[in-house]
Amino acid sequence: MNGMIQNRNVFLDKIANRLGRDRKTIVKRPEWAYHPQDEVLKNATQDELVDVLKEQCKNIHTDFVITNTAKLSDSLKEVVNRYGGGPVITWKDERFDQYGLTKLMKEEWPQDGVDLHVWNYTKKEENIEKANVANVGITISDITLAESGTAVLFSSKDKGRTVSFLPATSIIIIPKSSIVPRMTQAARIIREKVKSGEQVASCINFITGPSNSADIEMILVVGVHGPIKATYIVVEDL
Amino acid sequence: MKVTLFATCLVDMFQSDVGKAVVEVLERLGCEIEFPESQICCGQPSYNSGYVEDTKNAMKRMITTFEDAEYVVSPSGSCAYMFHEYPHIFQGDPIWEPKAKSLAAKTYELTQFIVDVLQVEDVGAQLAGRATYHTSCHMTRLLGVKEAPMKLLKNVKGLEFSELSGKERCCGFGGTFSVKMGNISEQMVDEKVCNIEETGADIIIGADAGCLMNIGGRIDRKGKPIKVMHIAEVLNSR
Amino acid sequence: MAMKTSVEKFNDRVDKGLQDSFMRGAVSSAQERFQTRRLGAAEELGNWEEWRSHGEEIRQHVLDNLDYYLFELSENVSKRGGHVYFAQTAEEATSYIQNVVEKKNAKKIVKSKSMVTEEINLNAGLEKLGCEVIETDLGEYILQVGDHEPPSHIVVPALHKNKEQIRDVFKEKQGYKKTEKPEELALHAREKLRQEYLTADVGITGCNFAIAETGSITLVTNEGNADLVAALPKTQITVMGMERLVPTFEEMEVLVSLLTRSAVGQKLTSYITTLTGPKEGGDVDGPEEFHLVIVDNGRSDILGGEFQPILQCIRCAACVNACPVYRHVGGHSYGSIYSGPVGAVLSPLLGGYDDYKELPYASTLCGACTEACPVKIPLHELLHKHRQVIVEKEGRSPVSEKLLMKAFGLGASSPAMYKIGSKMASPVMSPFTNGNKISKGPGPLKAWTEAREFPAPNKERFRDWFKNRPKGGEQS
Repeated sequence: MNGMIQNRNVFLDKIANRLGRDRKTIVKRPEWAYHPQDEVLKNATQDELVDVLKEQCKNIHTDFVITNTAKLSDSLKEVVNRYGGGPVITWKDERFDQYGLTKLMKEEWPQDGVDLHVWNYTKKEENIEKANVANVGITISDITLAESGTAVLFSSKDKGRTVSFLPATSIIIIPKSSIVPRMTQAARIIREKVKSGEQVASCINFITGPSNSADIEMILVVGVHGPIKATYIVVEDL
Repeated sequence: MKVTLFATCLVDMFQSDVGKAVVEVLERLGCEIEFPESQICCGQPSYNSGYVEDTKNAMKRMITTFEDAEYVVSPSGSCAYMFHEYPHIFQGDPIWEPKAKSLAAKTYELTQFIVDVLQVEDVGAQLAGRATYHTSCHMTRLLGVKEAPMKLLKNVKGLEFSELSGKERCCGFGGTFSVKMGNISEQMVDEKVCNIEETGADIIIGADAGCLMNIGGRIDRKGKPIKVMHIAEVLNSR
Repeated sequence: MAMKTSVEKFNDRVDKGLQDSFMRGAVSSAQERFQTRRLGAAEELGNWEEWRSHGEEIRQHVLDNLDYYLFELSENVSKRGGHVYFAQTAEEATSYIQNVVEKKNAKKIVKSKSMVTEEINLNAGLEKLGCEVIETDLGEYILQVGDHEPPSHIVVPALHKNKEQIRDVFKEKQGYKKTEKPEELALHAREKLRQEYLTADVGITGCNFAIAETGSITLVTNEGNADLVAALPKTQITVMGMERLVPTFEEMEVLVSLLTRSAVGQKLTSYITTLTGPKEGGDVDGPEEFHLVIVDNGRSDILGGEFQPILQCIRCAACVNACPVYRHVGGHSYGSIYSGPVGAVLSPLLGGYDDYKELPYASTLCGACTEACPVKIPLHELLHKHRQVIVEKEGRSPVSEKLLMKAFGLGASSPAMYKIGSKMASPVMSPFTNGNKISKGPGPLKAWTEAREFPAPNKERFRDWFKNRPKGGEQS
């Protein structure tokens, strides 16, 4: 159902009036004179982008692990252990199965006593309660920005927003194929979807490392409201 | 080459030695100097205070004064910049805008003129001592003369240089600001003088009479053994 | 708090600032760190000037077509089930939000940083309803716990407080028992605020950039607080200044890149989030109800006039961090939530000259602000335009100054007057002259000689020397 719009005409009329013209009903998005964003990491290969991402992780207090689908399960297990084990919360995402994590999640963790909650929208608020007490939140990057070291996450009913915010630590699995030079490419991908009539996700997170603040005497504190630690695990899926 | 000197009111009234040095340096470089007596002031004190209309007569006088000049050269980046502002100020004025444009096009700050027009970087000067250089804001940011002074100073024999920390920061002169907001200006010039002291230099060089009057006045008040020199005086040393 | 943060006079505020040595130390070191980071972030791009030009063209295009893009934005928010309220005044905005809050019977409200909600004094309006309003940005939380102090910097609100003072605030108000270590102070805030997010009825956010094409809003933080404010409460209200929007995701991306690099020298901050409407079908987290409040509050009066470029501002505070005057007087001297050069331009426009006529003069017109601005706002020129308006349109300059400037204008345009004046300068000043300097100047010179010597006028003016010198290149 459409939302209400109030007070619009008088408001916009005043703006048009101040601009000395009638209201505009058609404006074409201009051909911009400048395109500096296209120069960043232009022509970089996928391997070069991985290197850029790895280097950038040092600036954003994020551990960087690279692995392949055969070893992903072990890598993930190890990072979770390093973070002190469960409780773990993940999205409901078929990519976990594609990357061979079914055995870890369904057998090994339960055997090892690692409490795992997989997001289940039918359970509503319980998901948030689980996320709030989780030690580790695991998500998968939909698009990854090499320049800034950013994972882009699209929310959905199976991909809860709070999985990447409420747990004490965050692990983001990054398919190598998802890496693009910078936010420019992500914005274009999103725009293409919009233009083809797809509905943009109600929440898109561009996440760059753990939560931090320099509000006290400009001294950097890592881990304020969101995760205190973060690891990116890049998977060679190409 | 015929050069018409725009000496500035500060030099005329308070720092005639700077004016003499300019004349001597340029003559040594083969220029023929003329000084139109009808020149007074570029108008900045009142213009910058907001009295734009009240300043226009003074500006028109300057435009007329230099109408026939081939090159207008000034030992002040700020005053030279003011001439470059004239076209903007007289925008839309059918008589004065074109005149202002032609004045702006032929007006140079001293070091800019020597380096860019005369194509000289070594004027054969010699001065023993350790110096630091104050980059004036209007000259660097607004007039865009960044390299010329250092190109010339590097070729002064016997002169050693120390970098001034915070060199891009205003000295607190700002024309009428220095009296209108005297207490703030004091703190600004005080910090500047501290930064100068930290360099260990025994000479502070600048290219703008206003800044030098401010910095020099503070150095003098604090009784610091640092000599204040206009760049023209340095280039005239041998 | 409203935009105006103090009832004290400008000079008293400045004096207080100049005497606050901790604040001045904190500000100068923060300025240096911010500057270094900003310049580093700009340099590594290699084509920063092009970035700035692109930022400028985007912002100018949006302002020139603002009615169109706001229409598009509101249509698209509505299509996704969000409500849009256009508020021409602070009162309209506040009363709409009060209504929503009352309808929801809300008791607890969490907020993420928003300058425009400060501007419209929203917190007071909500507290009047009996609501508890909790700021979640760490800096703002500290100020709020410490008796609602005003922010002193757009990006680092509590810059003027040291960690010991912050520890004492937490100790006194919340029984905090740990040390002044920033990690421990932040952990304390984390634990306190986590409970607030989970139990709040309404979340209020600002908006860095709205996206017209999709009806989205973009939030930029390092802490992640805005995300929790938007994800957990059942109702979300976003308040935006009417100029804070872009056509599409592609322009949002450019401006966010300019913002994060200019504000904190980061390629991107830790959390950049675009939110579109309320949560969808099966979503568990996210608000059930979403309201976008678009605020004019004096902005449209700036449109179409000589001050329009100030609406290009993306609130990065690069100008604040570059300003040599802010460096010494600090944010509270401006008497407005908007401090530094942007504050000195914007505050008189939104709040009037009665309260802010001194601010445009709190600048040496050195141009550091203009050079730092990522969207090329000619800040120092706008400060100068204010002076012109104050003098020529408003006639607010002091009589003594007017006379002085008239005299100057006459002197500088009449050679006869100049001749008399400049020739007389030396004898007239001689009673005040000691050697070649004046240490206790009369009249307007007094303020100068409080701090420094003033040179005695030359006995022989340069022009006299020039006229009298032997011609022919032989120096005298």
